[in-house]
Amino acid sequence: MQSASGMLTKFESKSSRAKGIAFHPKRPWILVSLHSSTIQLWDYRMGTLIDRFEEHDGPVRGVDFHKTQPLFVSGGDDYKIKVWSYQTRRCLFTLNGHLDYIRTVFFHNELPWIVSASDDQTIRIWNWQNRSLLCTMTGHNHYVMCAQFHPKDADLVVSASLDQTVRVWDISGLRKKHSAPASIYESQMNQANQQQADMFGNTDAVVKFVLEGHDRGVNWVSFHPTMPLIVSAGDDRLIKLWRMSETKAWEVDTCRGHFQNASGCLFHPHQDLILSAGEDKTIRVWDLNKRTAVHTFKRENDRFWVIAAHPEINLFAAGHDNGVMVFKLERERPASAVYQNQLFYITKEKHVKSYDLQKNVESPTLLSLKKLGSPWVPPRTLSYNPAERSVLVTSPADGGSYELINLPRDGTGAIEPTESKRGFGNSAIFVARNRFAVLNTAAQTIDIKDLQNNVTRSFKPPLGTSDIYFGGTGNLLIITPTAVHLYDVQQKKTTAELAVNGVKYVVWSNDGLYAALLSKHNVTIVTKTLEQVSTLHETIRIKSATWDDAGVLLYSTLNHVKYTLLNGDNGIVRTLDQTVYLVRVKGRNVYCLDRAAKPRILQIDPTEYRFKLALVKRNYEEMLHIIQNSSLVGQSIISYLQKKGYPEIALQFVQDPTTRFELAIECGNLEVAVEMAKQLDRPKLWTRLSAEALAHGNHSIVEMCYQKLKQFDKLSFLYLTTGDEAKLTRMAKIAEHRGDFGSRFQNALYLGEVEDRIQMFKEIDLYPLAYATAKAHGLEEECQSILEAAGLTEDELNLPTFGEPLTPPKPVVPTYKANWPTKATSQSFFEKALLGQMEGLSLEDESAAVNGVDAEVQEDGAKRDLLGDADEEEEDAGGWDMGDDVVPEIEEGLTDVNIAEAGGAGSSEADLWARNSPLAVDHAAGGSFESAMQLLNRQVGAVNFAPLKSRFLEVYQASKTYLPASAGLPPLVNYVRRTVEEADLRKVLPVIPRDLEYLAEHDLHRGYKCMKTNKLEEGVTIFKNILHSLLVNAVGSEDEVAEAKKVITAAAEYTLAMSIELERRSLGTPEAILANPELLKRNLELAAYFTIPKIEVAHRQLALSNAMTQSMRSKNYSSALSFANRIISNGDAGGALAKLLEAARRNKATCERNPHDAVEIEFDQFAEFEICAASYTPIYSGTSYEECAFDGSKYHTKYKGTVCKVCEVCEVGKHGSGLKLFA
Amino acid sequence: MDPYSAEGELINIHNHFHQGQYQEVVDYDVSTLSSENELPARVLQLRARIALGQAEDALADVTGEKEPELQAIAALAEQALGNGDKAVGIIEKLAESAADNTTVQVVGGTVLQAAGKSEEALALLSQHQGSLDAVALIVQIHLQQNRNDLAVKEVTAARRWAQDSLLVNLAESWVGLRLGGEKYQQAFYVFEELAQAPATSSVRSLVSQAVAELHLGRTEEAQAALDQALKKEPKFAEAIANLLVLNVIAGKDGAEQKTLLEATDAQHPLLVDLAEKSDLFDKAASKYSAKVSA
Repeated sequence: MQSASGMLTKFESKSSRAKGIAFHPKRPWILVSLHSSTIQLWDYRMGTLIDRFEEHDGPVRGVDFHKTQPLFVSGGDDYKIKVWSYQTRRCLFTLNGHLDYIRTVFFHNELPWIVSASDDQTIRIWNWQNRSLLCTMTGHNHYVMCAQFHPKDADLVVSASLDQTVRVWDISGLRKKHSAPASIYESQMNQANQQQADMFGNTDAVVKFVLEGHDRGVNWVSFHPTMPLIVSAGDDRLIKLWRMSETKAWEVDTCRGHFQNASGCLFHPHQDLILSAGEDKTIRVWDLNKRTAVHTFKRENDRFWVIAAHPEINLFAAGHDNGVMVFKLERERPASAVYQNQLFYITKEKHVKSYDLQKNVESPTLLSLKKLGSPWVPPRTLSYNPAERSVLVTSPADGGSYELINLPRDGTGAIEPTESKRGFGNSAIFVARNRFAVLNTAAQTIDIKDLQNNVTRSFKPPLGTSDIYFGGTGNLLIITPTAVHLYDVQQKKTTAELAVNGVKYVVWSNDGLYAALLSKHNVTIVTKTLEQVSTLHETIRIKSATWDDAGVLLYSTLNHVKYTLLNGDNGIVRTLDQTVYLVRVKGRNVYCLDRAAKPRILQIDPTEYRFKLALVKRNYEEMLHIIQNSSLVGQSIISYLQKKGYPEIALQFVQDPTTRFELAIECGNLEVAVEMAKQLDRPKLWTRLSAEALAHGNHSIVEMCYQKLKQFDKLSFLYLTTGDEAKLTRMAKIAEHRGDFGSRFQNALYLGEVEDRIQMFKEIDLYPLAYATAKAHGLEEECQSILEAAGLTEDELNLPTFGEPLTPPKPVVPTYKANWPTKATSQSFFEKALLGQMEGLSLEDESAAVNGVDAEVQEDGAKRDLLGDADEEEEDAGGWDMGDDVVPEIEEGLTDVNIAEAGGAGSSEADLWARNSPLAVDHAAGGSFESAMQLLNRQVGAVNFAPLKSRFLEVYQASKTYLPASAGLPPLVNYVRRTVEEADLRKVLPVIPRDLEYLAEHDLHRGYKCMKTNKLEEGVTIFKNILHSLLVNAVGSEDEVAEAKKVITAAAEYTLAMSIELERRSLGTPEAILANPELLKRNLELAAYFTIPKIEVAHRQLALSNAMTQSMRSKNYSSALSFANRIISNGDAGGALAKLLEAARRNKATCERNPHDAVEIEFDQFAEFEICAASYTPIYSGTSYEECAFDGSKYHTKYKGTVCKVCEVCEVGKHGSGLKLFA
Repeated sequence: MDPYSAEGELINIHNHFHQGQYQEVVDYDVSTLSSENELPARVLQLRARIALGQAEDALADVTGEKEPELQAIAALAEQALGNGDKAVGIIEKLAESAADNTTVQVVGGTVLQAAGKSEEALALLSQHQGSLDAVALIVQIHLQQNRNDLAVKEVTAARRWAQDSLLVNLAESWVGLRLGGEKYQQAFYVFEELAQAPATSSVRSLVSQAVAELHLGRTEEAQAALDQALKKEPKFAEAIANLLVLNVIAGKDGAEQKTLLEATDAQHPLLVDLAEKSDLFDKAASKYSAKVSA
């Protein structure tokens, strides 16, 4: 018998005694009726209490969900049956009739019926549609504890009573009477069949069988869903199994084990198991066929009162003294392992199968594991060894065991393994081709075993180890409840430790650089050295995870597939209707195993995370690609972009004008803002736009906004400040026209029109003001006429003293003619790239299918028309005439993002290369030189492309062949690929001439030869050529990237070394140098510097010898000595170099006699330094310097911004994202 | 009965033509042919002569002829002589009067496509009634337009009614070289079979074989095939062009071939394209400059 451990509890609630339980058939809900009169509705997946229903008086013992309607029924000690709607959250009606406590209530699966069992010794059937009592079934002579309909057979009811009997009732009569009368014939038949009427003449429900066998009252009874079986639980502590036929029913067997009253029992919906619960605080699982105990789960303190099964999925619930628990009997996670494109997994039948992830085909059964573990316990893990084609399977049965089995070459059906190695252990995984590790949790040991199952080494893991996982070559990841240890098997010690609670699974990324540690609610991403990269928390349980090839982790929770980037940005990819275990992501497909261990393919849209990844990696090409190729980018991505500070990028996606406006304002893109404001035409937007435009100094837009808003005063002031007198005059006229005197006055004031002001005052009878104005401006005649008109004389007036009359200053600069010069709008890199790309596209489109272009042009034209119309309308709507020139033309220069999306069909393969690859070389091969240059510029700061021209054209040429086809026509151009096997156009890439291997084998050696044979000019050319060729190149793996970097460095060092020596030789003839002390010094310095670059030792000896000779010649014995010493310490490189060594020894002797320098030179033999590649002077360590981002040559800081002397392509000091040679 | 079918009289001359064995076509003994096949044979011979560079002779041969077939040939000859506009003019006229004539379709389609009028060419060719020549041309035009999908469709459709005929195999191989993957090898088999059998070998098929090998990454074999082709016809532009590509791929200097190509066919697409890209490079490169000029 099994121990009580190992119950997989999914949910637990705390409450008073739970008497009734019902699972919702579809949603993750459970109803619990309590002894305290409350009914609770729980979401057992989220662990939240959704609702409470409290209308019953006293304990509620029975509760049931309707299968399809949003209804449930409950029955309690208040003799009432209540039908509730969980949508409206209230009781719909109450069925009265029972005369005592109601024990159980159940809905019928098809008919609108409810069956109830009561202490009044009756069973009643109700119609909940017309709320009537259909039938009262009498016969039991004690409390009826339980009554249920048959789940399939509509005519049967079973009941259990404290009268020690179980009764089966035939209710076919009732059904015929109350279902719609099918035909007259049938109703006549009913009449004829009345001979079964009981003594009360009740023919609706008759007792079919009375099952006697229990010695005490029976508490519960259940039908088997498909077989003619009944199970009952009684106070005699027995679980009895009954079988029935058409005519009789009999007891089959008894399950003994409960040592207190058994309160509930049921059949497992899918497996041949019986579950029972009792007041002895246990839940017991029995084998239906053998009637033997399979499991016993014991609770410490709580007596069980009721047990229920979910109709569809492997879930059960039991109610006890302090609440309910939802649990399952077995793990449903199928054991599986993925190797390359093969998924190996174990089915529910314990068959090992494989699934080809490329061809999407399932293999026949490879192996049968029927004998592994106990029959009711599925294997837990599967570890695959590709070298041996064997699997290691663990099973929790019998305290944990493992089995090592070889897979047959091809599956031919359920083969029992011929030979297997077994052992005890809780976890077993392969750690190498011929080694596996076995953890024994009880003994707390880990054994490393060979394939013969012999222990090769054994060690004690950290305390409390619960599981082990592969930890990279030679390492194990050891899981304890509070931490994860990275354990070096060779050194037998922990090399790293990370405190993470409750890790359950470890998922390695495809490149083995990262691992995701999954615990119940957390995902922690760590590097292979166990450094935490990011962590995230989920409120619901995390089930599984798998890595995308690009380094995105996809993980599944109970109801979602989600993603997380390495930086922790995460989101939902899709929802799940059932729990799945992810095994692999490929493009838009997610491969997973469902709970039935069937491989499934889920379609996902990876756009969102790809885009975010591209954003994080600053891979703008990819982003462009995504923008151009995916139709929909939702609200979340926009807010994401906004949040991350990329409103200008978000702008490219949004169609909704309001959002577009907001984004445009945010990133200061006035053109778009204007466009959107025009579309929306709301005063609020115009106000915001005017404020923004004002801040930009873009007064023509401000003007337009004010016009739209009809803010005359602001407009006038704007004209004043921009010095636009003509429009100001017009404003005055408009004010006059409108009869707005305030405005008129304001405009007149701005214009300095005194007469106008006086005239206006007169018009509105403000003669005193008119007079004062006239007087102040010395217009005596006007004064007189005003006085006359008013009939007053000057003496009668009491005027203040006037100062100088004010006139507005004349504008000096005609600002209104153009917008104030603003800083060139800083286009984001992205926008530039987008524009660049669009140029590229339009070029390509010429050769593309004509249809697409036509459509585009038409669309474009149509759009223009629309815009034009809109303009006219707007002008009309403006309603006030300002002349034709008022509305500024802004339409021009607006970029239309949509254009890029059209077309596409008919682009050549060469165009695809640029899309398929982030490498400059692929762009160059595709003829997309502009983007190639952009890439190089961004990666390594390349600015001077002229030296790369031959390489670009070389790469371009190499990828096209010319196939003679029909006579009279030009040859067909085809595209040579380096991915010869690939036929998927999204993955093809061009052939690259002179790849790394070629360069390392040919050019590099030619360069070395030049060095040896002293052909330095030629050498420099060769090495520079290597640099150029590698700059525009591609390699096949990360290792090769490293190798390429090595070659680049070598080529750079040689170029530098050779250039220094060439510089020295160009100083002049030996005589000229000797004659000039300046030159002599420089000569010696350069000779010394020649020895600094890190070139091959043999070549360095040449440089040293050269320096030594030069020094000797100038009597710089100290320096010569140091060179000689270095030559000697480098040792004998053999061959011709032996002579050098000899000379060095000779010179050393000479120098040691007089170790002084005749010429002071800037060369400190003891200091660490590098040589500036521009000035050929030392850069001592510690001083700051600039670098070429490509070849790494060093420069004094003053050379920042110049073109690198070594590669002649990149800008010194410009740091890019680094050269990309492999994607 | 289709005169070009396996049992037809013209099968051999037709195959010679499409295998690029133009001299064999010209030398073909047409005296035994039945009268209704005389004209098609003459057309093929004239086309072969034009392909061999004897456009002037061919033009003189058909001047004054009334048959639309021969007028179409005149257009082809004119185009070969560099009078593209005149050729297109003739064909456009023929397209109105005799669009249902297979020769007019095929030759006209060739002329139009060569003049860059792909849509017109396709429109004319699409009227064909089961002519494989037309199908092959359509496929080529689709490929030139980079509409691989349409080309595939066309070939698949033709494969259904024409099965294993030479032109379908060729057209399929052209498409295969564009699609790649396993198709490379299939295309290679077709070309190799043609190129290596003495009865069917021609420079064109040799070059085709070399191209397939280039795509398969087998540069040495490609070199051998190209050498073979150049030995047969040292001035075959396509052979020189592909040798140039081959040399570049192999990391060798292609300058020699380039000069040679310039001498044989200054208007070869490779050269035109290269010059264009060279300008593009200079234009694009001019956008960048160092912050500080040295």
